[in-house]
Amino acid sequence: MALLEIKQLTKNFGGLMANDHIDIQVNEGEIIGLIGPNGAGKTTLFNCIAGFYPPSGGQVWFKGEDITGLPANKVCLLGIARTFQIVRVFKDITVLDNVMVGAFNRTNLAATAKKKALEVLDFCGLAPKRNMIAGGLTIADKKRLEFAKALATGPSLLMLDEAMAGLNQTETAEAIELVKKVRQAGITVLLVEHVMEVVMPISHRVVVLDYGRKIAEDVPEKIINNEEVIKAYLGDKYHASRRTP
Amino acid sequence: MGGNKNKWLLLASGIFILIIYPLIFTLPFPRHLMIMIFLYASLGLAWNMIGGYAGQISLGHAIYFGTGAYTSTILLMKLGVSPWAGMLVGGLFSIALAFIIGYPCFKLAGHYFAIATIAIGEIAQHWMLNWDWAGAAIGLTLPILPESLINLEFHTTKVPYYYIAFGIFTLTILATYGIDRSKLGYYFKAIKGDLEAARSLGINVARYKFYALALSAFFTSICGSFYAQYVLFIDPDSVFPLMLSIIVCLIATLGGVGTVWGPVIGAFILIPISEFTRIQFGGGGKGTDLIIYGFLIMVISIYQPFGVIGLARLFRKKEAP
Repeated sequence: MALLEIKQLTKNFGGLMANDHIDIQVNEGEIIGLIGPNGAGKTTLFNCIAGFYPPSGGQVWFKGEDITGLPANKVCLLGIARTFQIVRVFKDITVLDNVMVGAFNRTNLAATAKKKALEVLDFCGLAPKRNMIAGGLTIADKKRLEFAKALATGPSLLMLDEAMAGLNQTETAEAIELVKKVRQAGITVLLVEHVMEVVMPISHRVVVLDYGRKIAEDVPEKIINNEEVIKAYLGDKYHASRRTP
Repeated sequence: MGGNKNKWLLLASGIFILIIYPLIFTLPFPRHLMIMIFLYASLGLAWNMIGGYAGQISLGHAIYFGTGAYTSTILLMKLGVSPWAGMLVGGLFSIALAFIIGYPCFKLAGHYFAIATIAIGEIAQHWMLNWDWAGAAIGLTLPILPESLINLEFHTTKVPYYYIAFGIFTLTILATYGIDRSKLGYYFKAIKGDLEAARSLGINVARYKFYALALSAFFTSICGSFYAQYVLFIDPDSVFPLMLSIIVCLIATLGGVGTVWGPVIGAFILIPISEFTRIQFGGGGKGTDLIIYGFLIMVISIYQPFGVIGLARLFRKKEAP
């Protein structure tokens, strides 16, 4: 059974169709890459799933339950955690306290939350920086913290919104390793990126959006040779010149 | 750790001094001064729960203070209910009021929330000024009852008031400490830090904002009931003024918002200034304390936005190797 099922999901802002009848199935234990050029509707889709926007049409099913339009905090309680494209760490409190806020999603006890938060920090390699004020971290560490906060909520599905944008090659490689580790821990991952190089090596399947529509869904090897995808990313001109020889 | 041991020693000696204080200072004024410090420190701590921890700046807290004062007084005058029970009923009324006020106001963000709370505070004061059954603008003079703990009235000495105020202060600080260390405190800080991020981590933002306001209103209301029993006269100008709402906010801001000890430090700085200038200048100098206070706030907000407690932390950091 699919862990997450998006059925004919539509979201329009006035006349703009940000998501146009999108169908996606995410199975348990998979890493799904969601790619597309800027403005393709990836973040909007994310927000609709996570309860930040009410969809204009269609449904979202999670663990066999209709979660369409539920508020974000309930979606999180059901087991979907997300990160934000522009990091939203609580900058005035420590790294550990940030992660503890996430951990309180599954407990009322401070001691339990602290234990869970320390485990997650260790898992993400942030343990040495746990007593730093979050606002003082580097961007790479902030992204890592964003990841740790989401992970601490105890999700079965982790949705990462451009968790690797703005990182250098070493940092990106580390982030990819982290995503792999998360999947090994039994958590399903939905990964939004517009950098293809990040998504291809780790995704089991890749979904491509363009102008709010799903234009392709396949294994990574086939996606990179898909006509529609190349057209969407490089434009008609390059698409044509590529075909001629 | 040595630092921790020093902290406990400081705390223990602080408590000891406060317990023996009325035995050393036998004149009424120093005792009155300390009672006022306890009262305003408790008010600052209560305001800090919603304004400091949860970051929702309320400038209408006098409404809960007034509710506490009027509820216990009216229950005592009309039904002969003990002020202690009145205090509790006033607290519960204030929680209900917090819900009624919070429900529409929490939909407003940032400054708009603050403006709405000012408006509601003003409405409440004008309502009370015209409500004949509750004494209207003339106010209510509490009946003079025999001195006793049950009646919460003492006419010959301030010492019992001192210990009761100390008790209320201790209760408020313990509650703040409890919030600081528990899920509530973490969630309040998350709401203050970033609403969207808080929601994404499973926090029911509306519910936790209400918890913060309810706790804050409850403790503010208890202070109001105590004030009524201490002064034995209340009117809308003394328990519902906008100035009171602003002062409790300033106490917390000066000391350091979102910390356990910040509002306590704020009260220990402001209340002596306010009481001494009152004595020095009398009625003609009304507001002198606020001029000094306004100056302190400007200095603090420019150089150290985290308040006096932030300043102390800065020094401690510099000392550490």
